[in-house]
Amino acid sequence: MSTESPLVVLPGETIDPSLIPTHKKNPLRLGPGLRHIPPSEIVPTVAGQLVVDHRKTSMWIEYNGGRYIPSQGDLIIGQIARSATDFYYVSLSPYTPNATLPHLAFESATKKTRPQLASGELVYARVSLANRHMDPELECVNSSTGKADGLGPLKDGMVFDVSLGFARRLLMAKSREEGKVEVLEALGEEGLAFETAVGRNGKVWVCSESVKTVVVVGRALRETDEKGLGVEAQRKLVKKLVREMR
Amino acid sequence: MPREAEPSANEKAFLLKALQDEQIRLDGREFDQYRPLELTFGEEYGVANVSLGKTKILAKASAEVTVPFADRPLDGIFTIATELSPMAAPHFEVNRPAETEVLLSRLLEKTVRRSGALDTESLCLVAGQKCWSVRVDVHVLSHDGNLTDAACFAVVAALRHFRKPDTSMENGVLTVYTPAEREPVPLGWLHSPFCVTWSFFGDEGETALLDADWMEEQVRVASVTISLNRHGEICQIAKLGGVPVEAVALLQCTSVALTKVKEFSTYLDGKLAEDAKRRDKGGFMAELRAENDRIVG
Repeated sequence: MSTESPLVVLPGETIDPSLIPTHKKNPLRLGPGLRHIPPSEIVPTVAGQLVVDHRKTSMWIEYNGGRYIPSQGDLIIGQIARSATDFYYVSLSPYTPNATLPHLAFESATKKTRPQLASGELVYARVSLANRHMDPELECVNSSTGKADGLGPLKDGMVFDVSLGFARRLLMAKSREEGKVEVLEALGEEGLAFETAVGRNGKVWVCSESVKTVVVVGRALRETDEKGLGVEAQRKLVKKLVREMR
Repeated sequence: MPREAEPSANEKAFLLKALQDEQIRLDGREFDQYRPLELTFGEEYGVANVSLGKTKILAKASAEVTVPFADRPLDGIFTIATELSPMAAPHFEVNRPAETEVLLSRLLEKTVRRSGALDTESLCLVAGQKCWSVRVDVHVLSHDGNLTDAACFAVVAALRHFRKPDTSMENGVLTVYTPAEREPVPLGWLHSPFCVTWSFFGDEGETALLDADWMEEQVRVASVTISLNRHGEICQIAKLGGVPVEAVALLQCTSVALTKVKEFSTYLDGKLAEDAKRRDKGGFMAELRAENDRIVG
């Protein structure tokens, strides 16, 4: 469990050295939002909450940005723009350069058995390469094990836009305690059957047998995000929406 | 030039399925329900801020004295300028009118200018030499569908709110008074037209919706914009291509449009009255009072 210091920092501020975790052997790890200026300065580059984890000797900044910047290892939902000879061009967010997804980067894909994806279809992929100077690259398979782990094309369903910070909270392992997001669990408890995929680029895919379920889930996600509801308010919202649906 | 973002195949299919099989819209509205409409006036006369859901439009009316057109010496000049900039949505470019922009300015032109909503003869000051040139600038701050209805409402609200400086003619000398010298006067307004846009879905245009948001606009197969005022006088009906629609359905759309326009009219009248009351400083008697404000101890 990381120790949460509710300290909000602005870009360029100096950080109090007593907050920086030190360890005899482990080097300090900096996460997103912090930059190291040798020899010993650590400077935030975005505005947000500074989070320090003493157990892992790491520190990073939680922030809610507007535009998604791809980083390696992120799971995202992309839209196929078009197909080239060896790869697909996938759009991660509108009006940004497309990412590339090789035709064979799917589970057990060969030239003859690869999935044929049309323009406009959605894929759940992982970012395999991302840096400032190149267009990002994606993969739909875990390159070391060869398994898909749930990645691949997403059929039917509906995709909703959410803010980047909300998507990150949804993807947290302990979303109930750390992310304070209970909407999806609460909706499941009310008896709705649906499946979701959350993309770090601010998209949530929802699929269900019943159209009404998908609409209710979408509205619950949107309102939680737009109004910044707490856990109690989320439960109330879910109850209200399910009642209206029935 | 960035191309417009397209919704994915999943979204389009889902939207159509929800509309045609289950008769529900994604945000839970009825088929003939508008998004929440809000209107605020600025501090200056003639500034109207309209938001229809997430579509936000700012209209500003202004006037200056110029020479009238040679072929119309007894009329003033009235122009509506709509320029869509990347502020509305990233795929719009300044100085390169896209189809949306051309259609929007044409519809506003026909609705407000050609229908004679503003009496241009009242803008004439000296025949053939001086007249008022009234100009409304429409700025789209955010584009989430249905720019036409929101823009028309904003233009009408701005023009009705606007006050032009008072003038007088004595011995061939025209005097234009500043707002400090004489209270500005409202424009000569004849009737208030509003636009109502219907969108059609389905292979034969069977499903009809009012006030489509951006996603619904991408999926629709046809659309009709009906402009009328609250007395039921139709200024124009524009159906620019798209799938053919039953004539009977179109007549039904027009009658529902009349109900909506009456609602718009009442709302606008209410807002204008509220604004007038707020600005009303009590007149002469209030200025002459010598009482001090009571101090609450």
